Amino acid sequence: MLRLERLQTYFKTADGLVKAVDGVDLALRPGGILGLVGESGCGKSVTALSILRLLPRSGHIVGGRILFEGQDLTAASEEEMREIRGNAVSMIFQEPMTSLNPVFTVGTQVAEVIRQHLHLSDREVRARVIEMFELVGIPDPSKRVRDYPHQLSGGTRQRVMIAIALACNPRVLIADEPTTALDVTIQAQILELMRELQRKNRMAIVLITHDLGVIAEMADEVAVMYAGKVVEQGSVDQIFDNPLHPYTRGLLASIPSLAARGRPLSAITGTVPHPLNLPPGCLFAPRCPRAFAPCPTAFPARMEQGAGHDVACYLYGDRASA
Amino acid sequence: MTPLVEVRDLVKHFPVRGGIFQRQVAALKAVDGITFDINPGEVLGLVGESGCGKTTTGRLLLRLVEPTSGRISFDGTDLLALGHRQLKATRAQMQIVFQDPYASLDPRLPVSEIVGEGLSNQGMKDRRQRDATVAEILEKVGLHRYYLNRYPHEFSGGQRQRIGLARALVLRPKFVVADEPVSALDVSIQSQVLNLMAELKGEFGLTYLFISHNLGVVQHVSDRVAVMYLGKIVELADSVDLYRSPKHPYTQALLSAVPLPNPREKRQRVILSGDVPSPVNPPAGCHFHTRCPLARRVCAELEPPLELKASGHLAACHFA
Repeated sequence: MLRLERLQTYFKTADGLVKAVDGVDLALRPGGILGLVGESGCGKSVTALSILRLLPRSGHIVGGRILFEGQDLTAASEEEMREIRGNAVSMIFQEPMTSLNPVFTVGTQVAEVIRQHLHLSDREVRARVIEMFELVGIPDPSKRVRDYPHQLSGGTRQRVMIAIALACNPRVLIADEPTTALDVTIQAQILELMRELQRKNRMAIVLITHDLGVIAEMADEVAVMYAGKVVEQGSVDQIFDNPLHPYTRGLLASIPSLAARGRPLSAITGTVPHPLNLPPGCLFAPRCPRAFAPCPTAFPARMEQGAGHDVACYLYGDRASA
Repeated sequence: MTPLVEVRDLVKHFPVRGGIFQRQVAALKAVDGITFDINPGEVLGLVGESGCGKTTTGRLLLRLVEPTSGRISFDGTDLLALGHRQLKATRAQMQIVFQDPYASLDPRLPVSEIVGEGLSNQGMKDRRQRDATVAEILEKVGLHRYYLNRYPHEFSGGQRQRIGLARALVLRPKFVVADEPVSALDVSIQSQVLNLMAELKGEFGLTYLFISHNLGVVQHVSDRVAVMYLGKIVELADSVDLYRSPKHPYTQALLSAVPLPNPREKRQRVILSGDVPSPVNPPAGCHFHTRCPLARRVCAELEPPLELKASGHLAACHFA
C-alpha cells in the first residue's frame, strides 16, 4: 500500500551535497509492520520525513517515487499532502518533549488534527478527544485534556502524541524512534499499546529504530539501512536467523548478551563514513571483514536470496565468483 | 577481601525551594539510605530508570556532591572526613567518565589540555612531561598521539568517549565511576568502547562502578549488579544470578520489559501500570508498592529491609 521506488533525498549544505537517502526501495503491506533499522545518520529518519514531505528547507527529493495507494506523493500538491498528513498517513516523533506545543493544552492539540480532517461539531470533537485519550490509556481523560505538556510525564506525553497520530484512523503510521526517550518499563507499555491499536485498526506501521530488540519484537518485515542505502531486507525471521549482509551480521553480533559475558564483544571496526566523503562502491567496504576485489568498484545491486529476502552484497549471487 | 569502597546508609536530599523567600519547602530524596560495598577489581553495575538516583550515587562516591548523611570509605579512609587538600590528593585515585561525550569535553580546549588538566592539578607543571604522559594514555585508549592538539569537535562520538576515558585514566586511578559511558553511542561503536573498557580494566587493575539504564550492557560488563528504584537499592546480586532469577518484583518487571533481539522468543511480560512516583513524596512503606503486582497491605505500611534471600543475593521485598 505504501511503496518507495529508488527514493533519493539530498541536502544542500554549505560544505556540499549530502546524499542522505540514495536510492531506497521499500514496500509496506496493509496491516504490516515494517522495521527500519540503522545507526545515526543512516537516513532512516530522512526516509520517514520524505514520505510525508516534511523535510527541512535544505532537503529535496531529487529522484524516485513514493506511491501511497497508487498516488505518487512526490508529485502531490501541498494541499493534497495536507489532506494526507495526520489523516491517511500520520507520524509519531522521537522526542515527546519537543514535539508538543508547550503553550496549548494537550486536548487542544489533539482537537486540532480532528478539526482539520473530520467535519465534526465542537461537542463531537471534544468527545472524540476524550475517546482518544481513553484509547491510548491515559487515566482520568476528562481532566488530562486540560493539562499542558509540562504537567505530564514522558510516557503520558508519548501517549498524547499517539492519540494525535491516531485521531483520524490513519491507514499508515510512521513511528520514528517512538520509545527511545523512554524508560524500559514505559517503553513496554507504549509498544504494547501500539501493537494493540495496530491490530484493532488494521493499520500498517513503519517503525524506525536503532534498537534491534524492539524490531525483533514488533516488526514482521525488516530493512537494514547503512549510509543512505538499504543493504538488506527480509522477514524478521530471515534477518535474525539468517542475516546475510556483513553489516547486519556485525550489528547483531555486537549486542551484549548474558551468554557472552566476560568475553569481548564482536565489534564492527571503524566508524560510519562521513556523508560528504563516501567511499567508492559498497559504502560498507572499508569496515567490512569480508571485503574483496569487486567491493570498491560499484555499489552492489540488491539480489534476491530466497523468498522476499534480498541483500546488496557481492558475496552473494554469481558475481561472487567473478 | 577488604572492599575498596564501603557505603553505609548514604542519603542525599536535594532541597526543593518555593515561595517568595525561596525557603526550603520539601526535599527531593534522590538517594534515600543505601548500603553496599565494591570489592577491588570488581565491576559493580548500577541500574534503574531515570530519576532513581543512580547518577547521584556515582557522584556521591567521588564527593562531587556532598551527602546529607551516611558514610563512605574509600580504600580504608573515611572520605567524608577529608579536608579540601586531602580530598584533592585522594581524587587522583578515583575518576569519572560522563555520559554525554558531546557535553563533557570543553570545546575550547585541545585534547592535550582536556586530558592533561588532572595532571597539572596534581602538580605536574612541566608542559613537555604532561604532553608525553597524555600521548601515552591516548595510545592506550586507541587514539594516535597526533591528535594531541586537536579540539573536541574534530572527533566522532566514539572517539570523544575515548578521550573521556583517557582523561579519567591519566592519573592512574584505582576506581572509576562510569556514568552511562556508552548510552550516547551507536551499537557498533558501543561495543568498541565496552571492549576497550574491559581491556583497560585488566591493564590498569581498575575497579568500576558502571551506571547504566541499559540492562543488556550492564549484564555484559558487571560482576555484581545493584538495582535502584526511587532512591533505594531494591536488589543486589551476582550478575548471572540476578538475570537468571531476579527476586524483587521490580527487577522482574524491568528485565521482562527489555525487548530481546530474537523474534522467536516470546516472553511472559510483566507490564507495570503507571509512572514512577515523585521522589519528593515517595510512597510510604515499600516505595514500589503502588506499581507492584504482588503488593499486599503490609507493603504500604512497612518498608522491607535489603536482606539476604539466597547466597550472595540481597533483595528488599516482604515476599521475595
